[in-house]
Amino acid sequence: MSSTHSGNGWMVWLTFAIGLLLSVSPLPQFMEILRPLWLALLLAFWALALPHKVGMVTAWCLGLAEDVLYGTLLGQNALILTLITFLVLSLQQRLRMFPMWQQCLVILVIFGLAQLVQLWLSALTGNRQPTLALVLPALVSALLWPWVSFGLRGLRLRFKIN
Amino acid sequence: MGVRLLVLTVLSVALMVVDARFTLLKPVRSQMSLVLMESYWITDLPQRLWQGVASQFGSRTELVAENEKLKTENLLLQGRMQKLAALTEQNVRLRELLNSSALVNEKVEVAELIGMDPNPFTHRIIINKGERDGVVLGQPVLDARGLMGQVVELMPYTSRVLLLTDTTHSIPVQVNRNGLRAIASGTGNPERLELRHVADTADIKEGDLLVSSGLGQRFPAGYPVATVKEVIHDSGQPFAIVRAVPTAALNRSRYLLLVFSDNRTPEERANDAAVAQEAEDRQNGESTATPVAPATAPGTTPAPAPAATTPAPTPATAPAATPATQAPATQPARPAAKPPVSTPAAAPATRGARE
Repeated sequence: MSSTHSGNGWMVWLTFAIGLLLSVSPLPQFMEILRPLWLALLLAFWALALPHKVGMVTAWCLGLAEDVLYGTLLGQNALILTLITFLVLSLQQRLRMFPMWQQCLVILVIFGLAQLVQLWLSALTGNRQPTLALVLPALVSALLWPWVSFGLRGLRLRFKIN
Repeated sequence: MGVRLLVLTVLSVALMVVDARFTLLKPVRSQMSLVLMESYWITDLPQRLWQGVASQFGSRTELVAENEKLKTENLLLQGRMQKLAALTEQNVRLRELLNSSALVNEKVEVAELIGMDPNPFTHRIIINKGERDGVVLGQPVLDARGLMGQVVELMPYTSRVLLLTDTTHSIPVQVNRNGLRAIASGTGNPERLELRHVADTADIKEGDLLVSSGLGQRFPAGYPVATVKEVIHDSGQPFAIVRAVPTAALNRSRYLLLVFSDNRTPEERANDAAVAQEAEDRQNGESTATPVAPATAPGTTPAPAPAATTPAPTPATAPAATPATQAPATQPARPAAKPPVSTPAAAPATRGARE
């Protein structure tokens, strides 16, 4: 498998592009608050699966793209995504061994921490979000994790991405 | 790995500080947005396609009904516009009498909504007109029923608009009925604005229309902003609690109007008007006023003030005094105020569109 060095790396970038689209896709009003952290989910999966290819620099670049899309200060989401990738990478050996429900829990904690940092950063930049409802996306993301990782694993096996 | 995290964190923080304090990164951001903003367009595509398909297969009866409706609406608006032309004329004349600077006619351009900000705690939208279309920072945005917000971020072909109801937004308003001034702040609820620091005894009541007062020098004066929904007098509170509903359909409008107003300050505008008036005055003076000049000179010196305040006491002094004291005000003002008079077609068109 690892003998072919082409490795279909573009598929990874395609998923990131789709993640960017999903992160700005219009949702009904009541679901806006539950929007999953698509980019963070994708980054977590690829960082676990291909740690030699997707790392913190990738996360940082994607974060910058997200900043431009959201109109936040350049570097804000970059910092968050870098942090998430760092935590996932440092827990990588254990996370790979965990059963799915434990992975979900770890993802919940990591994303929750990241959302808290997000809260602090947006408070510093002047638009404080009024509630702790911003932990909800972390919860939704954690619930989506099994499906995302299952789907992406299928994709990876199918296209032999490595 | 830790080193990399540290470097990237420091880099991010540095970027954030630079982006918040300086304009150094604006070109970078605008170049990146050139590519990235397409994703809003792409995510909007299904709806566009659906609309296209729906309009292709719209049934004939529906189209006929819509046509009928539009025709009646057009008739109504045309009727209103006729009246508006007369009113505009009258307004200009009255302003001439008051010797105030003429009403500025604003130019508008239609923009289309292409995306909402994904953050549910901010009320911002993305429109399909940007820097290359002449949009400027702080430009007011309307829909057919009232003010919606202002442009806060410019990108080459798109721009971000902060809506009135965002928690970080406030707009100076005036009660249309009596001119009471207030500041309407956003609450984060798309159907509610709050008037801050309104005295408990202020004359404001349910159903009052709030229009923009133009005092912040950002929004043009006279556009409807909100209608007062409830006024709560709580004796425990230092101020009355006034809640209003925005007249614009902030979360429903798809087509918006960008207002291109005169971006000169009132002082500059008054200055320009004065200069124009003087030039006109000189022209008129050279061509027609040569025989009048010797007659007015002795007439004005004894009693200019009574002649100006009470124009009817003596018919002999009045015509002699008025050209000298009021000359720059009444006669040359008409040619100076010509632009607004000569373009009434533009003004009712814009006004009519929002009603």
